[in-house]
Amino acid sequence: MSSKQFFINRYKKLGWSYEQVRLKRAIRINTMNSNKDTVVTRLESLGIVLEKIPFLEDGYWISKSKFSVGATAEYLLGLYSIQEAAAQIPATLFNELKDKMVLDVCASPGGKTVQLANIMDNSGVIIALELKPRKMFALTNQLERNRVTNTAVYNMDAREASKLNMNFDCVILDVPCSGNPITDRDWFNKRTMEDVLRNARRQRQILTEAAKVTKDGGEIVYATCSMEPEENEFNIDWAIRKLPLKVEQIKCYGEKGLTNVFGKELDRSIEKCKRIWPNPTQGFFVCKLKKQVSN
Amino acid sequence: MKEISDFVTQFNANMPLAKNSIIKNRNRYYMLTKTLKNQAPKGFFYAGAYLGAVKGTSFFPSFLLLEMITKGKANKMVVDKKTAWLFICGRDIFQQGILEQNNLKKGDYTLIMNEHNECLGFGKIMVNLRGPPDSNKVAIKNILDIGDFLRREKRQSRPKQRSGNLQDKDRAPRRFNRK
Repeated sequence: MSSKQFFINRYKKLGWSYEQVRLKRAIRINTMNSNKDTVVTRLESLGIVLEKIPFLEDGYWISKSKFSVGATAEYLLGLYSIQEAAAQIPATLFNELKDKMVLDVCASPGGKTVQLANIMDNSGVIIALELKPRKMFALTNQLERNRVTNTAVYNMDAREASKLNMNFDCVILDVPCSGNPITDRDWFNKRTMEDVLRNARRQRQILTEAAKVTKDGGEIVYATCSMEPEENEFNIDWAIRKLPLKVEQIKCYGEKGLTNVFGKELDRSIEKCKRIWPNPTQGFFVCKLKKQVSN
Repeated sequence: MKEISDFVTQFNANMPLAKNSIIKNRNRYYMLTKTLKNQAPKGFFYAGAYLGAVKGTSFFPSFLLLEMITKGKANKMVVDKKTAWLFICGRDIFQQGILEQNNLKKGDYTLIMNEHNECLGFGKIMVNLRGPPDSNKVAIKNILDIGDFLRREKRQSRPKQRSGNLQDKDRAPRRFNRK
C-alpha cells in the first residue's frame, strides 16, 4: 500500500474523506496599529476583495487580489498580517492576556507572537523561543514590522524553557508537527508513520516542559497543523494522565476532539478539544489545558 | 546612545530619550518597558522596541525609531499616493510628488510620510524646495524605506555566494552615513 493510501485510509477511519482543498488566503488585522474598518477600506480601495471570516474577530479571507497581499504599504506598515485562518484561533483562546506573562515556544515566523502582542495591546511580557538561528531573523523582522514592543526573543530549545527560571500565566504551544497534505502538496511522498511518532515524542517533551513553567492555575494552549491523532488526541490523553493538566472547554470553530481512535478509548474530556478538518481552512488541532493547583 | 541622539538631531527633532530604558546588546539598541526590563532574563536575541544598530561608524535606524521621531516636532514631508508607492519601491522623490513640508532646506534629512500620516522612511533633500519644480532633478534622495522589510527577506533567503562573486552593494544594507 502506498504511503498516500495508508494515510487516506486512516483519515477515513477518523471520519474524513480526503479531498485536495484549495486553501483560502487569509489576513488578520492588527488592531493595535490601526482601526479595523480603516484597514478594510484601504485594502478595498486597492482592489482587494475581502470576506469576513465568520469565526474570527479580526480575520478576513482574500477573495480576490491582482497582486500579493504581502507587497502593500499597509502590510509593510504592520496594519495587517498574513495568517492562515485556523492558525489565528489558538491565540484567541486564553481567558485574559493583558498584563500577563506569556510564553510562546517555537515562535518563528512570529504570526502568533504578533497576534498575542496585539491582543495584549503590547502590555505585559511575551517570551518567545526559537531553536533554529536561521528562523530568528524572520521572527524579529515580523516583530519590528508590526511594532511589537513587549516581547523578548531567545534562541532556545522549548524543551529547556525552565532554564529561564520564569513562570508564566499563559503558554502557547504551537509545536513542530508533521503538517498536513493541504498545505504541502508533497506531503504524502515525504511523511511516514516514523516521522509522526518522532514528532509526537518531541511534542510530549515540550508539553512536559511547558507544564513545569506554567503557574498553578495557568493556561496552556496546544496546537498543531497535523491531522494525525498521535500528535493530537493521543498526546493530550497522555498529558492529562502524566502531568498536572486538565482539558478546558473552548468555544471556537471546529469539531469535537476524538475520544475513540482506531479502537482505543481516550479520556472523555478530550471531546473539549477542537479538530479542524480541511476546507476552507487547513487541517488543525487545538486544545486548552489548565494547570492544576498543587497542594 | 550617542549614535541615537545624533541621528535624531539630524531631523531637528526634540525627542527625549529615557536613557535608563535603553539597552545595548552587541551592536543593537533596544528600548525596554519597565516590566520587560525587570522580567526578561539576560541573553536575549531581541527585546522590546528595536531602535537600530551600529556598524562601523554608521547608525542604521529601525522603523520603530523613525516612528517615535514622527510623534513630535521633526523634519517631515507628506507625499502623494503614487510618490509614496514609488518611494517604498526604493525610488527617489521628485518635487511634484510633495504635498506638504515644513520649511525644509537643501541638505536637511526628512522623514517621509504618506497621506495617512504614516512614516514610510527617510531621505535627504537634494534641491532648494522653494524654487520651481524641476522634473529632471531628484528632490529627495531615498535613504531608507519600509520596502526594506521585503528586501531583507530576499537577502536572507538568497543562497550564499563566494565573496569574490558578490558585490558589496548586494550584500550590505543601505548605509546611512552620519557625516
